[in-house]
Amino acid sequence: MGMHPGTPGQPGHSRNQRDELREPRPATAAIDAPVVDVTNLRAWYVTRQFGVQREVRAVDDVSLQVRRNEIYGLAGESSCGKSTLIKTIAGAVRPPLEVLGGSVLFDFHGEHLDLYRSPPAARAAIRWKHLSYVMQGSMSVLNPVRRVRHSFVDFAYRHIGGSIADFENTVRAHLERLQLRPGVLEAYPHELSGGMRQRVAIALATVCRPELIIADEPTTALDVIVQKGVLGMIREVQRELQSSLLFVTHDMAVHAYLCDRLGVMYAGRLIEEAPTADIFRAPLHPYTRHLIASLPRIGQAARMDALKGAPPNLAAPPAGCRFHPRCPLAMEVCSQQVPPLETLTPGHRVACFAVTPPATPASAPVSVSPTQVSTRAAPPGDSR
Amino acid sequence: MWKVLRDLLRHNRGFAIGVALLSFVLAIALLSFVSPYSPLDSYVVPPDLPPCWPYVLGTTSRGQDVFWTLTFAIRNTLLFGFLVALLSRLLSLTIGLVAGYAGGVVDRALMSLNDTFIVIPLFPILVLFYFVMRDRMSWVSLALVMACLGWAYDARLIRSVAMSLRTREFTETGIFSGMSMPRILVEEHLPYVLPIVFSTTMNNINWSIGLEVTLSVLGFTDINTPTIGVMIYWANQHTALVAGIWWWIAFPVLLVVITFIGLFLLAVSMNEFIDPRGRLGRGAP
Amino acid sequence: MHSYARYLLRRLGQFALVVFIGINLSFVITHSTPIDPVEQTISAATSFGSTSPEAIAMMRQSLRELYGLQGGIGEQYLAFWKRVAVFDFGPSLSAFPTPVSDLIWRALPWTAGLLFVSTTITWVVGNLLGGLAGYLRDSRALRFAGVLVMGFHPIPYYIVAFVLLIVFGYLWPVLPITGGAQMNMARGFNTSFVLSVLQHSILPVLSLVMVGLGGWFMGMRSLVSNIVNEDYVVYAELGGVAPSKILGAYVMRNTLVPQVTGLAMSLGGIFNGAIITEQVFGYPGIGSLLVDAVHAGDYSLVLGLTSVSIVAVSVAVLLIDMLYPFLDPRVKLAN
Repeated sequence: MGMHPGTPGQPGHSRNQRDELREPRPATAAIDAPVVDVTNLRAWYVTRQFGVQREVRAVDDVSLQVRRNEIYGLAGESSCGKSTLIKTIAGAVRPPLEVLGGSVLFDFHGEHLDLYRSPPAARAAIRWKHLSYVMQGSMSVLNPVRRVRHSFVDFAYRHIGGSIADFENTVRAHLERLQLRPGVLEAYPHELSGGMRQRVAIALATVCRPELIIADEPTTALDVIVQKGVLGMIREVQRELQSSLLFVTHDMAVHAYLCDRLGVMYAGRLIEEAPTADIFRAPLHPYTRHLIASLPRIGQAARMDALKGAPPNLAAPPAGCRFHPRCPLAMEVCSQQVPPLETLTPGHRVACFAVTPPATPASAPVSVSPTQVSTRAAPPGDSR
Repeated sequence: MWKVLRDLLRHNRGFAIGVALLSFVLAIALLSFVSPYSPLDSYVVPPDLPPCWPYVLGTTSRGQDVFWTLTFAIRNTLLFGFLVALLSRLLSLTIGLVAGYAGGVVDRALMSLNDTFIVIPLFPILVLFYFVMRDRMSWVSLALVMACLGWAYDARLIRSVAMSLRTREFTETGIFSGMSMPRILVEEHLPYVLPIVFSTTMNNINWSIGLEVTLSVLGFTDINTPTIGVMIYWANQHTALVAGIWWWIAFPVLLVVITFIGLFLLAVSMNEFIDPRGRLGRGAP
Repeated sequence: MHSYARYLLRRLGQFALVVFIGINLSFVITHSTPIDPVEQTISAATSFGSTSPEAIAMMRQSLRELYGLQGGIGEQYLAFWKRVAVFDFGPSLSAFPTPVSDLIWRALPWTAGLLFVSTTITWVVGNLLGGLAGYLRDSRALRFAGVLVMGFHPIPYYIVAFVLLIVFGYLWPVLPITGGAQMNMARGFNTSFVLSVLQHSILPVLSLVMVGLGGWFMGMRSLVSNIVNEDYVVYAELGGVAPSKILGAYVMRNTLVPQVTGLAMSLGGIFNGAIITEQVFGYPGIGSLLVDAVHAGDYSLVLGLTSVSIVAVSVAVLLIDMLYPFLDPRVKLAN
């Protein structure tokens, strides 16, 4: 296996535990600090054109953690803010995107980094070595006027070090492990097919064996067969490196195949978070329940109802819970207060007043109708 | 469209300055209609006077008031520029749009022709033209020749706009929904084409005035119709600089430089406006 | 390299087309004139005294031969092309009997040198500054440089040259304002001559550079601001690649193709600017020669110069076009 100078290994976290490939991973990770700890993150797109200021509240007060050796999936429909969230976590913030509050804390085996309070040099030091990124549409992430080999040198050589010859051997070995022919190094990006480029991008993102890999819709532009291959590759890589993977896609089937835990986003907020199986079998938030219910099943004959309304305009989102205009369980308090993410059962968080009643009854008196009471009492998992 | 212009005026400093400069120049050109002297008369005022009252910009060695001659000069220069720009618009729009929309062999043939005219150095050709025309040269014929030679650069720009419009989805949507092609052209495409036409017109005027000034200064045009270049030509003929009559040259040069900068600013700010990525990338200041 | 051969062939075809149309244009202009250059020259030559009618007839005959105006239009056309092909335009009338080609060859190196030096400086510096300005958007120094450089850009070459002439000729005479080198100096590759050449070229080069920088600066700046948002640049930044490396290998390398294209397209305009500037500074290149030829009524010299200009610019463009495929691996040679 390749050389990897740098972080001292921690006891109990050896990297070559091949036997782990055969066993299912433990449901809860070891009690280490999480690889990344996001707290109250707020990132908006702020533009001012012709004297008119417009703020798109793409990520509004999101908190989550990704543990070691886990695949965390972010689900949600288009423009719910998931891409913006992971861009912010990865530190890929460019105007008009601005980070307005909160923090992103990394812990790479003892090496800590507060992303937005660190100097650029510290940020650059962790890039690729501890934190790598697989972009949406990896079709064009490689420099079109230089060979693939140069991209590997540019991104990874300074972390792996050694002589160029040794480095190239390392890269070749890595490519072979991922079942890519080493000849791909000499090609120009436009000479490779889309799926091939995606695999090369994944190989590039993993060559330094980072602790956290962030992947933004890496398979969305591929056809299903290629997609399966790429996903399989991702899973193998994660298992071998035992890194954490923060995976974003709107395709629930991919989440089911790949992820240990899922976070569901809606309109810039995290509304539910649980192990994958729980999300699919027993979703709690009305939006999640609708999302799961709308997944087609073979042999299903019943009609599926669409949610009324449309996703909110993030430049002028509704007050309180952002889902309340479309929610079948909406109460008056939902339009006044933002429901916090409460832990219902260990590992399962929900942000919904219908599931976890508001803490203070000091909100306007709500007449609780019998239907609402019975809804709350009903076991979660009823599809509506 | 007026709203766009108003927004540009209010928020784009370049555009505002350009409009201000050009209005100034236009005002001076319009004053030519109230000039007390005819531009062809000489020795109507005492010669070689520095700027004083009532000859605010001085007088020339030929006994002409610099200020009033300047009004005619800039008027003719501007007229010349507009004429060339108008005529060459016809050519560049036709060729650019046809090439862009038709594509295929037509496009390639036209572009071959186009690139030819981009490469050929125009100045020697214009000099040759003057050489054979000599005293029969009028500035209208010069304008015609320049228009016939100077359409190439803009045609290419218009062609690329046409090409991108043709393949955009909203065009196909329009076709599929049964819109007739002329209607698509006018309602959907024109708003994209107009800004490019505007900015290339500004550039073209700059180019043609620049070339005209150059030719005139060398004496290669009709030296009896006053234009800015002709003024400088006569000043050189009378060795104005050596004689210390700097105002004869300085003021025409100044005025034409103002014109150039004004037109340039308009063209550049319109270009900035066209490019939407530039707008988003700037974020909030 | 098979596709490169095909590409080359197509470029050569374009080159031939340009030369063909250009030279034809010259022919059409000179032969559709209402003025008879022979009669003009004769009237100019005989205006100072009386000449016998036989002498005039002889002059007319030899002039017609010289000008290639014998025979019908078809014969004239063929004769014209023959002369262009061998670069023989006959003797110059103003510097009789020196052949036109001699005069041109003498002037050409000066123009070529001036063009080469000023174009290189303008292109390289303009692109560098523009690239930096596009990349480092917050630099006040670059923004100021931009305003300065773009302020000069719309002003025609003649005026800038003229202003420089006034400034350095009359107000602050520290630089020579005429000639290519000091007169009466021994020519050759000795130090003093070379130094003199350099000194005399400062103002012409400066004038060309001042006007030309703005164009490259603007184009490069907008190009770079677009490239900076491209996926591969964003990705490189995400990957922590060093900013200098990103600027060089990711941004600048990708601007080469459009900027080289732009260079090819603007060579015609740069050439125009150069010959105009030469005239202002009395630089002994093609420009001065052309203007003097027109004033002297030297038909063959003007024609020769025009033809040479067309061919020279076309050759330069062809050379640049040939570089293309080496700059961008994506260029589909079989376009």
